[in-house]
Amino acid sequence: MTVLQFPPCDGTRWQRAEMNALIAACGESLDKGTVTGWEIGETERGEPQLYLVGPAPDYECVLCVSRLGRLYVLEDGSGRILFEHDALGRLGEQVRGALRHKKAAIVARATVLWLAIKETFEERIEPMLAEPVEVLSQVAPQLVALV
Amino acid sequence: MGMHSTKTASRAAQSRKEAGTWLKALRARAGLSQVELAERLGLKYYTFISQVENGFGRVPTDTMEAWSRALGEEPSSFARTLLSHYEPEMYRLLFGVEK
Repeated sequence: MTVLQFPPCDGTRWQRAEMNALIAACGESLDKGTVTGWEIGETERGEPQLYLVGPAPDYECVLCVSRLGRLYVLEDGSGRILFEHDALGRLGEQVRGALRHKKAAIVARATVLWLAIKETFEERIEPMLAEPVEVLSQVAPQLVALV
Repeated sequence: MGMHSTKTASRAAQSRKEAGTWLKALRARAGLSQVELAERLGLKYYTFISQVENGFGRVPTDTMEAWSRALGEEPSSFARTLLSHYEPEMYRLLFGVEK
């Protein structure tokens, strides 16, 4: 695959309008804690990148927005390309959508984990708890006879 | 809560940054630009290379071998070093030593 390259443009830093659009897109996720902040970086060629950072303790990159020439590229923390377009308005929508999807994925993972723990408890712990009850039910009549 | 720039100084974040710096040094030693490395990895853009080198992304497990070969490293020691940065506790449990 040929890597797409872009000629460096004049204003390589994030512009105010871009930051405002991205921050607005994160509002809901900030309230819910899916995103806790952002950091700015750049590629080797000087194109700006914005990293949306998840919660403590890992502060993993939830989403990464890059501007290459006039093109915005939205990727997740694993480098999966989610969106590529030159319209800032559409980028904001995509960031919002991707963050909602991310939250749904976290909830799904937590549910699966909870079910796994519950199943383990039922399979391993409950028989252990049931055993003394079974013994007691056998011994009880004899104890009653002695009284 | 307001949007703010974080200074992610947690141990995990710091360790990811160290991994990124190490990867950047390997790439420099291999004489590759981010674009060239992305090309060798079959990526459409080189932005993910930058994300990883800046300490905000991880090399995905399923592409570690490709990264190691592209950077001229032996896959097993490459993966082991990355594990020591990305999952230090797992590394300690597996190999019995701190990185």
